Amino acid sequence: MKEPIEVYRQPDLENASLIVGWQNSSGNLGSKVVEYLSRHLQARTFGEIEPVQFFPLNGVEVENNIAKMPFSRFSSGDRKDLVIFESEPPSFDKYRFLKSVLDTGEYYCKIKDLYTIDGIVSPISHTSPRRLWAVYSDGDFQKRLRDYELENITWEGPPTLSSFLLWLAQNRGIPGLSLWPEISFYLSATEDPKAVKSVLSFFNRRFDLGLDFGDLDSQIKTQNGNLALLRKENPEIDDYISTLEVGLSLNEDDQLKLAQGVTEFLEKMLV
Amino acid sequence: MIKYCKEPELESPDLICGWPGIGRIGTLAVDYIRRAVKAEELGEIEPLDFFEPNKAIILNGLLNSLEFPSSKFYYRKTDKKDLLLFIAEEQPSNESAKIYAVGEKAYQLANLVLDVAYKFKCRRIYTSGAAITQTHHTLPPRVWAVPNSEELIDELKDYENIVLMSDIEGRRGQGFIIGLNGLMLGAARKRNIQSICLMGEIPYYLQGSPWPYPKASMAVVKVLTHILGIDIDIRPLENMSGKVEETIDSFLQNLFESEAIPQQIRDQIRDSIEKMKSINTSGPITKEDERRIMGHIDEFFKKRKKGNEGAN
Repeated sequence: MKEPIEVYRQPDLENASLIVGWQNSSGNLGSKVVEYLSRHLQARTFGEIEPVQFFPLNGVEVENNIAKMPFSRFSSGDRKDLVIFESEPPSFDKYRFLKSVLDTGEYYCKIKDLYTIDGIVSPISHTSPRRLWAVYSDGDFQKRLRDYELENITWEGPPTLSSFLLWLAQNRGIPGLSLWPEISFYLSATEDPKAVKSVLSFFNRRFDLGLDFGDLDSQIKTQNGNLALLRKENPEIDDYISTLEVGLSLNEDDQLKLAQGVTEFLEKMLV
Repeated sequence: MIKYCKEPELESPDLICGWPGIGRIGTLAVDYIRRAVKAEELGEIEPLDFFEPNKAIILNGLLNSLEFPSSKFYYRKTDKKDLLLFIAEEQPSNESAKIYAVGEKAYQLANLVLDVAYKFKCRRIYTSGAAITQTHHTLPPRVWAVPNSEELIDELKDYENIVLMSDIEGRRGQGFIIGLNGLMLGAARKRNIQSICLMGEIPYYLQGSPWPYPKASMAVVKVLTHILGIDIDIRPLENMSGKVEETIDSFLQNLFESEAIPQQIRDQIRDSIEKMKSINTSGPITKEDERRIMGHIDEFFKKRKKGNEGAN
């Protein structure tokens, strides 16, 4: 079988940390975080994993009038200690795909650790603070990061792609951390900039990035303003959000109505 | 890719394989034999190249373990016959969301199983699964047998309750065996190892059911133990079969009384299923009727599953 990795140029990296963001994650979180970081680091693509063995290439998806092709790209920029991988989750042969991610990370980037970005859809209001949940691949790494105020997940069930990657990294002796910020459930179909900021704040502190959150704060402000307008126009939506704000929960029907109402309104505001 | 935990000396063992499929007929039959003969673990096929993990255990933020579907070999030396058994929790597939083995991975796994058969100089390989047919769940299932060489046909004709493809009305000896059961026959033939697939009959209306169908597993176990000349107690499997039959009866009664399905359709379903009591060959209802009935029954299975999930 042909090697699926294609590297265009040797990146200039030393003791790098690999940051992995998945496309189409809840609230589009993985892509948003990776886009933000790439922009800040002025990252350029230096390699990719060929899609043919991992995605059903039976046509192309059209999004916003443009034909899309699944991509899985590595990029690096100003910092020699950071490498970014952005990809759609593979449809099949996940082991070989993740092995290719780690092979590239080890061989071309000499990575020392890795971080993945996912999101936990949570029954919280958009005005609540976002907790940042964490899964570590090993105890030492967990101890080293204990000052970052991350919440520990306890869970048993089907593994996510990030858990699979963490496990494979663990087998190679590469420490890893999976970051799971809370996303307000009624923002999961659109965007939750507050959740994006919670992840970026972690990276900012961890890697001393000197990020300026001005534009993100302005997005949060705009979204809050839009939702305040919706609450004013629609008392039912206001009731639902108020219920969540005082720590009570909504039944399934009300959750659905709130999510639909917010998604339609925010999409309309974007047009 | 095969990890052995023991290296026993076996004398021309027969290998019996079971993997998941309709009614879990194959895995239930082979696992029943494994328990009955007290077979010991021999080794396993390492899962990473074939399967995705099915469970993560995370404790206090630490990824404790990732579990994969197992594909294990067992062995047992008996007075009459040495046995090797292979039981897989999943069939590998190159395509996602496929229950049955498809593509290169499936062929690779079949050949790994054959490597073990070669290593231990196996005389013959038996695989087992389901034969979907127009029969009734109260009738004793027959066992359809498909060998991978002509010289086995006469031997098979001597066994009780076995039917060949040529014995089944309208088939003229033709058919298709889906998944690893079929692939294994072909791969074994390519490597000159005798192999027979034994498929217990399951009524077509139960092919989407969430329960195992131990009645057919029992039929397969009876045939296998007879061929192998081993004696095992079949009563626990009989008891299990009785309980599942009660569950099926109760499910069908609920379906016949369900107001979610129009009365006329319920009557048609009841008549079609009742008709199965008096026949055991294909042909009494058309394929189109079968598809229509299956559509309603599968819908009912799904609703029942959803109801149970809601209750949890």
